[in-house]
Amino acid sequence: MISAAAWALIGDVKPAGALPHLASPTIVFVALLYFAGVVAISVWAARRTRTARDFFVAGHGIGLVALTVASVSTSVSGFAFIGGPGLLYTIGLGALYIVLPASITNVMGAWVLAKRMRLLGEVRGLMTVPDAIGARYRSPGAQGLAGVAMLIAIVGYMATNCLAMGYVINAIFGTGIVWGIWIGMGITLAYSVAGGILAGIYNDVFQGTLMALASALVFGYVLSVNGGMSGISHAIMPAFPTFLGPWGNITPIAALSFFFVFGMGSLGQPQGVHKYYMLKDPQQLKWYPLLKTLGLILVLLLFFGVGVGVKALVASGRMAPLTTPDAATPSFLLGFTPVVLAALVFSGVAAATMSAVNSFINIGAAVVTHDIPVALGRKVKNELYWGRISTLIIAIVAATVAQFSGSMVAFLGVFGWGLFGSTLVPALAFGLNWEGATRQGAIASMSTGLLVTLVFETLAWFKAYSFPAGVAVSGMSLVLSILVFFAVSWATRKSAAGQLDPDVRIVMEV
Amino acid sequence: MITSTKRTALAAIVISTLAIGSAYASAFGTGGPPVWAGWLFAAGVTGALVGTLALGATRPDRGLGRLVGPFLLMTVIISAGFIAVFALPELGASEPLLLGLPRRAAIVLYGIGLLPTLVLPVAYALTFSDQTLRPEDLERVLATARAARETRALAEEGRP
Repeated sequence: MISAAAWALIGDVKPAGALPHLASPTIVFVALLYFAGVVAISVWAARRTRTARDFFVAGHGIGLVALTVASVSTSVSGFAFIGGPGLLYTIGLGALYIVLPASITNVMGAWVLAKRMRLLGEVRGLMTVPDAIGARYRSPGAQGLAGVAMLIAIVGYMATNCLAMGYVINAIFGTGIVWGIWIGMGITLAYSVAGGILAGIYNDVFQGTLMALASALVFGYVLSVNGGMSGISHAIMPAFPTFLGPWGNITPIAALSFFFVFGMGSLGQPQGVHKYYMLKDPQQLKWYPLLKTLGLILVLLLFFGVGVGVKALVASGRMAPLTTPDAATPSFLLGFTPVVLAALVFSGVAAATMSAVNSFINIGAAVVTHDIPVALGRKVKNELYWGRISTLIIAIVAATVAQFSGSMVAFLGVFGWGLFGSTLVPALAFGLNWEGATRQGAIASMSTGLLVTLVFETLAWFKAYSFPAGVAVSGMSLVLSILVFFAVSWATRKSAAGQLDPDVRIVMEV
Repeated sequence: MITSTKRTALAAIVISTLAIGSAYASAFGTGGPPVWAGWLFAAGVTGALVGTLALGATRPDRGLGRLVGPFLLMTVIISAGFIAVFALPELGASEPLLLGLPRRAAIVLYGIGLLPTLVLPVAYALTFSDQTLRPEDLERVLATARAARETRALAEEGRP
């Protein structure tokens, strides 16, 4: 999904290219073993899921290491292994600006959101990201608007991940893409409906651990095959002079747009923010940013290594130029690493897309069964039951959209990323840290993000109007929603103090 | 209570966002964005990130405390990285290597990308108990949570 957003940021929305069919019994065997592990974890989690709180926030009972590994795993999804290396192979070092903010974003999330959301969860018993917005501004309307924006974004996110899941399962088992989508969704649904977020978290831990291990091993092979980093640079620089330039093959504005959107925008990604509620003990947050940053660096070694390593192999004539960027990782793995390592990576990618889908199904189900009813002044009686029903419906809708949307699925992914950032960052991240923020500012900001993203992404999709190259709709909508948030909050500042409940104020002051 | 540190952080976010918006706006002119737009965007994104970090880390009674140093260092690292990347000449294939990468690429990857990892997450962990979540603050919130739970329970039972 991030890959789709990244392509759009450089003004070149590309539908994903089908991966080559791997046709290896070893890869099929390892993938089956992998899925057996996923099923076993899901059965265990289902037995521990008894209430809506267990289903949506794992009963506020996840430990530091599990939360960190799961969070790393959800952050990168299949992008780190397939889409990211392909993007780097194509646009050069400019693609690195997507992941460069990782050294800042995790600690920024910890300072700005983690403690406050975890403590708000403690005080108010909150379960969802829109819950926090509703509590902050004492506004069911703001909570509902955040929920609706998230739901629209989630359909986009999930459709993109469903399609990615279809591509990977087809590559491993040769099922065809449509069957790949539905088989993947079937497995994901089985553990989402039964085990909720608990199954998702522990499956993330399982696959995140393997991803980190596989990533480090693949990076080692990249260096070994190419004669280290110097060998890679010496091969690339004469053949592709701009590739290892500071902006790669894109403009400085486009590269810096990546840095801004993936840096600031990270504060509005619910799959990461939502996990703050789940930590068992708030004091464990102490080591969370450091551990998560180190984990991300480890997992992203493959993204960087394969991206530049394959370019070096092509530059030195040891590999034919790729027919599609997404073939970078499969081509390297099948040509230069043991088949067991390739199998591990492919299984990891399949599991990663499933884990992303699971995470978004869960968040979407919470919006449907909790946030929207709250906005309408109603309360769902059996949230666990309706959570499971919503999970099923959202999954079917997303898989159907993925199956029939064709190349529009990339557009939906871009749309989702932009919406999360522009609708949630100002109201949530700044609002929880600034007593002067007002309900009017939050609603105006979320409406601006929703409108700008909706209008300009749609115009661009229908080729009616596009921003100049390098100017991203997601970046522009984030800028505008931040400015509207501050301007309207300042204009309505007299109402700020009256909109802050005493318990929320305490959480904001500590 | 809005402290001067928080006010400065908020001002930094607004001004930086305006700078990014201006850089974007300059791209709408004929001939694409001017050279200064890249500089302005880099300054804006640095200011927005550091301003947001400061907004989240500042406390009403003690501002940024021991975090002033790490935050200044952070600002210097990212700013110096971007200045170097913009200012150093492009030497093409003859660019000298630094830790295996062309000099400007190395500044981007190791300087802007990896170096902050050694500063911010470590500063967060080392100052956590006195700057981010003091035990007495946590106890205060937990007491508030207990009181809120009791109030909710009474309300559900229909008692005042």
